[in-house]
Amino acid sequence: MSQQTRKIPQEELVALLIKQDKVAMHYLYDNYSAALYGAILRIVADENVAEEVLNDAFLKIWDKIDTFDAKKGRLFTWMLNLTRNLSIDKLRSKEIKKVKKTDDISDNVYNIERDNLIHQHEDDIGVKELLSKLREEERLVVDLVYFKGFTQSEVSDEYEIPLGTVKTRLRMALKNLRSVLGVKQ
Amino acid sequence: MNIEEYISSGILEAYALGELSEKENQEVMAMLEKYPELKAELDQIEEGLERMAFETAVTPPSHVKERLFDETSIAEKPKAKVVTMESEVAASPYWRYIAAASVSLAVISSVLAYNYWTKWQSTETALNTLIAQNERVAEDYNQVNQQLDQIEEDLKVINNTEFTRVAMKGTDNAPNSLAYVYWNTNSQEVFLSVQNLKDLTEENQYQLWAIIDGAPVDAGVFNPGESNLLKMKNITSGAAAFAVTIEPKGGSENPSLETMQVVGEVAQG
Repeated sequence: MSQQTRKIPQEELVALLIKQDKVAMHYLYDNYSAALYGAILRIVADENVAEEVLNDAFLKIWDKIDTFDAKKGRLFTWMLNLTRNLSIDKLRSKEIKKVKKTDDISDNVYNIERDNLIHQHEDDIGVKELLSKLREEERLVVDLVYFKGFTQSEVSDEYEIPLGTVKTRLRMALKNLRSVLGVKQ
Repeated sequence: MNIEEYISSGILEAYALGELSEKENQEVMAMLEKYPELKAELDQIEEGLERMAFETAVTPPSHVKERLFDETSIAEKPKAKVVTMESEVAASPYWRYIAAASVSLAVISSVLAYNYWTKWQSTETALNTLIAQNERVAEDYNQVNQQLDQIEEDLKVINNTEFTRVAMKGTDNAPNSLAYVYWNTNSQEVFLSVQNLKDLTEENQYQLWAIIDGAPVDAGVFNPGESNLLKMKNITSGAAAFAVTIEPKGGSENPSLETMQVVGEVAQG
């Protein structure tokens, strides 16, 4: 979390970015690239692909900054979701190429590579330690949804957990993590 | 609206993670404007997500930043580059223009190239998704086509005037049951259309009988739950009636008359 000399407030930062201000763009990259890169890496699980996605993500953030609406939420949330979506799209396009020939496309297309991924990257820096504070069932949901980019419905389908239960568990997990991370309640 | 319930449904988390549809997003936004406590809760959720991301951040290799800022026009607009040239290059105005123009051109074309490249990438993703969808649609289409073929075959029999239709109505055993026999006395073909017959256990099957000169003649067995026309055994002319009984799987030589479900006489004429 390397902070630059001065913290630019969100409103000002957005205004500068819309003007394609170079300093603001560097600031944005320097402050947020690591957080976003971590999120990408955990979804695509391949450094080369993750670098590509990070590159695309920043281009898209700079390009689409004028569509960001502070009424809907924070700048970081917007960037994170944009980045997660790019990561998931990238993962999907790779998977479709791989399984195109199999018979039951509709069922397999989104799952094959992800099944491997879940076990592959459990040792991601920081994640394991952070999640160790949670109960087993909460850990699974938050790991899949937040760190691997599953939607809650996908988790519900694949792990045969009722959707309502998935939602409650995710909610409790995020709540517990907030207190671990010291977010004011 | 109970705010506590709304919060505990987890909808704000789904909203913050971008999982909701556009319509649901609008609904949540309307709620956020109306209830400040929802906004406060969302703030916490978002702050939590942000903190988690920072807590689990991974620093990308430095060449990512270099490439991002060097190779694209994002860092500097083409105009800015030309201005820098002017201050550094002490050349004749003529060459300056040439140089400026070529730099502009190079910058513009790399921007275009990059734009097209990203567009191409996203087009490819979209194409792959479409191919997968297309294969699924083709599969569905084949299935429907086969069903349609079957229905057309059935219709040919039903509309063919050479076929005599015999309605077999429910007996006292099963007053609501109903089935039709389509019998062509020339070709001797027999088709069966089940309208309503009860389910059977695994050990049993239905058996169709033709009554010829007062004696039952086996016309084949069938299972309950068939919706298409069933081709049964050929029956030579002279059948006065048709009936269906329940028999052990595989059928019997003689009908168990006490199990008779439907029966119908062939209209003479």
